[in-house]
Amino acid sequence: MPQRLKEVDVVVIGVGFAGSILAKELAASGLKVVGLERGHGRHSVPDFQAPAIHDELKYSIRKGMMQDVTREAMTFRNHHREVALPMRQWEAFLPGTGLGGCGVHWNGQAWRYHEEEFIYKTHIEQRYGKKILDPDLRIQDWGVTYQELEPYYDRFEYLLGVCGKAGNLNGKIEPGGNPLEAPRSREYPNPPMKEQYSGALFRKAALELGYHPFLQPSANMTRPYTNPEGMTLNPCAYCGFCERYGCEHFAKASPQTVILPVLMKNPNFELRTESQVLRINLDSTGKKATGVSYMDAQGREFEQPAGLVLLTAFALNDVRMLLLSGIGKPYNPKTETGVVGRNYAYQTQSYVPTFLGEDVHLNSYMAGGASGTVIDDFSVDNFDHSSLGFIGGCYVLCGSTNARPVEFHPTPPGTPRWGRKWKDAVRRHYNHTAIFNLSGTSTAMRGNYLDLDPTYRDAWGLPLLRITFDFPDNDLRMSRFVTHKASEIARRMGAKTVVDSPRTGPFTTTSYQSTHNTGGAVMGADPSTSVVNRYCQSWDVPNVFVVGACNYPQNSSYNPTVTLGALIYWTADALKTRYLKRPGPLV
Amino acid sequence: MMKIHSTVRTTFVLVVAGIVVPSYLAAQTSIPTKPTPNKSISNKSQVGAQIVAQGTTRGAVACARCHGFDGASDGSGAFPRLDGQSAQYLAEQLRHFASGHRQNALMQPIARGLKDDEIEAVAQYYASLHAVSFPSHPVPTQLRDLGKQVAEVGDLSVRVQACESCHGPNGEGEPIAGVPYLGGQYSHYIEVQIQMFRQGYRKSQQMVVPAHNLSQQDIIAVADYFEQASRPAVK
Repeated sequence: MPQRLKEVDVVVIGVGFAGSILAKELAASGLKVVGLERGHGRHSVPDFQAPAIHDELKYSIRKGMMQDVTREAMTFRNHHREVALPMRQWEAFLPGTGLGGCGVHWNGQAWRYHEEEFIYKTHIEQRYGKKILDPDLRIQDWGVTYQELEPYYDRFEYLLGVCGKAGNLNGKIEPGGNPLEAPRSREYPNPPMKEQYSGALFRKAALELGYHPFLQPSANMTRPYTNPEGMTLNPCAYCGFCERYGCEHFAKASPQTVILPVLMKNPNFELRTESQVLRINLDSTGKKATGVSYMDAQGREFEQPAGLVLLTAFALNDVRMLLLSGIGKPYNPKTETGVVGRNYAYQTQSYVPTFLGEDVHLNSYMAGGASGTVIDDFSVDNFDHSSLGFIGGCYVLCGSTNARPVEFHPTPPGTPRWGRKWKDAVRRHYNHTAIFNLSGTSTAMRGNYLDLDPTYRDAWGLPLLRITFDFPDNDLRMSRFVTHKASEIARRMGAKTVVDSPRTGPFTTTSYQSTHNTGGAVMGADPSTSVVNRYCQSWDVPNVFVVGACNYPQNSSYNPTVTLGALIYWTADALKTRYLKRPGPLV
Repeated sequence: MMKIHSTVRTTFVLVVAGIVVPSYLAAQTSIPTKPTPNKSISNKSQVGAQIVAQGTTRGAVACARCHGFDGASDGSGAFPRLDGQSAQYLAEQLRHFASGHRQNALMQPIARGLKDDEIEAVAQYYASLHAVSFPSHPVPTQLRDLGKQVAEVGDLSVRVQACESCHGPNGEGEPIAGVPYLGGQYSHYIEVQIQMFRQGYRKSQQMVVPAHNLSQQDIIAVADYFEQASRPAVK
């Protein structure tokens, strides 16, 4: 018999960036908030300190910060005619667990989206007409605009201390920044990171080809910074252990470094770690949440009644929790009815390994998670697609996040995979290879969706989430086009060998691409094509708010975190200024 | 070894040489042409030994006067020990003294009396030595444990990471990255340098927060802990 606990005002499922910021805002306005975190509690000291944190085998290879696949995973298939199988090892993407969530092990690549992206369908159809879209693509508008989100972008960037140079200040193009970015209301809080040598070479080549290189905005600090919450961060030491690791220096913006200590001091907030939420409970009408049920580490089940439920547990987990709780109608790809699980998208990544001469010493191990020089000329809709026959694009980034010895040993095509010749090639190329990273849009498609697996269950007996996904042909055409453009830059850099390797299908889960899973609980203006309204509030159960990259109707070229940050503060504001005064549907 | 009186120590404050500002942070922003050819280390060391013993005609006094011919200095902690210290670090500090980036009234004219290759030679010379250690002063167990905690684990309450995250296990430094060793360094020297960072006489982005946030007791404890840690072997 589950133990029923004392009712609280708010329960937060998942304490990462979204959970901790929303909890902080609501606890500060006087509400009693409980944060339920599936994983362990952890802090910069002692959990992320060197030398223990610099354990490549533990964190990069064995994915020490990720969900335990023996307890909870996803199943995957390319197409609804196939039988999905559970992932037994994280490779393609890395769902984190533990206090701070993915905010602990991210790289800190801190991008905003473009104005057009929030009105993507309207914009694309206006610019190119409907015929540019393959019939099975399902792009749509967000229901919220860039102009509405700008103040919240700004707030999140100042919370994090994002390091960059503005390229567009209130419509005025600024030298040194990204001239193609959406207008921002003020300068970044901190200057950009140091340029790596590979980035300097890339910058020169890109300029020669007429592009607009700049330093990627980062959440790895470039100087000591105290954020508006009073949290002081240290500068990054360019140690090369960023993504997949926690930061020992208090230099990477994470919930632990920017907000959690403030939240934890508020007596209105209670954190419960190792608490696995099983479902959101609904009343008999199915229109109101009464709280959540969860199980602690000892296997005891609790019911936590609450007036408001915030679902902030990572895109894929959010969708699964909605499906497990019966909130919203599940999407059916055959009839195209239902919404939960619809418009699941990913990221169309490709890489251009650029093998330079032995006289070019890159020292790529000197790296922060977001260090790198980048061009935005081929992102999303920054270039004319009218004669190209596809939509979307990639940013092209040259820089390194690391050159860690276990993982980083680029060799040119034709090199044996093992033995003396392989070792010689690793020795020859280790310090002389730049790898461009192309992060590309992922267009929502009719047949790509999330639902509950009919066969496989987790350690708590609940159905796993099933991912049905393959790359839309549109995105593969896009990847070919932009990857060729990137290869031209690589050749211009004087590379001896360039591997022009666009993304090809089918999607497989066996090699790392990106953790940027989006969609499945998308936001929008129309309940027949969205799960939540423009304030991330469930259409069906108005006292449930879902805030995550699952809200994105399709995926951008850019890393999703800063846009998520804007949505977090946008939602917090709607909750505080409107919902709490008059609970009920905000739209 | 007696502790030197604190007022005496402050007189020496501006004299001493010493800690961070890692050169590996200075990633390249311009594209270099050709690498400069390296002279052999032994050759550099010989030139260095001569400068250490005799100074230069351009006004640098003999380093050995304060730092000893063996780099162990006088054991008072007024002067850092330099033997086995990272050559990259030593050279960088001499350049910082010369430019005034690191403020030190005594070291500035000396550093300015050295040409660039002489700086390299002196740095190389001291880096190659391993002098005998003076016996360290006794430290109460409780203080040492506190120092060990801050050095190895850090202090969450003041958001300071473990010193050893940069300075290496036992504070043995990262010679190639230009991160100095602290293990076996004189505790007075370490303590005073943290104050220098706090007051801005020394500038290092990495050291700003630790120097400001550590309590006086933490600083003394950490300094004492590192003095007792063993110095790295010269490679």
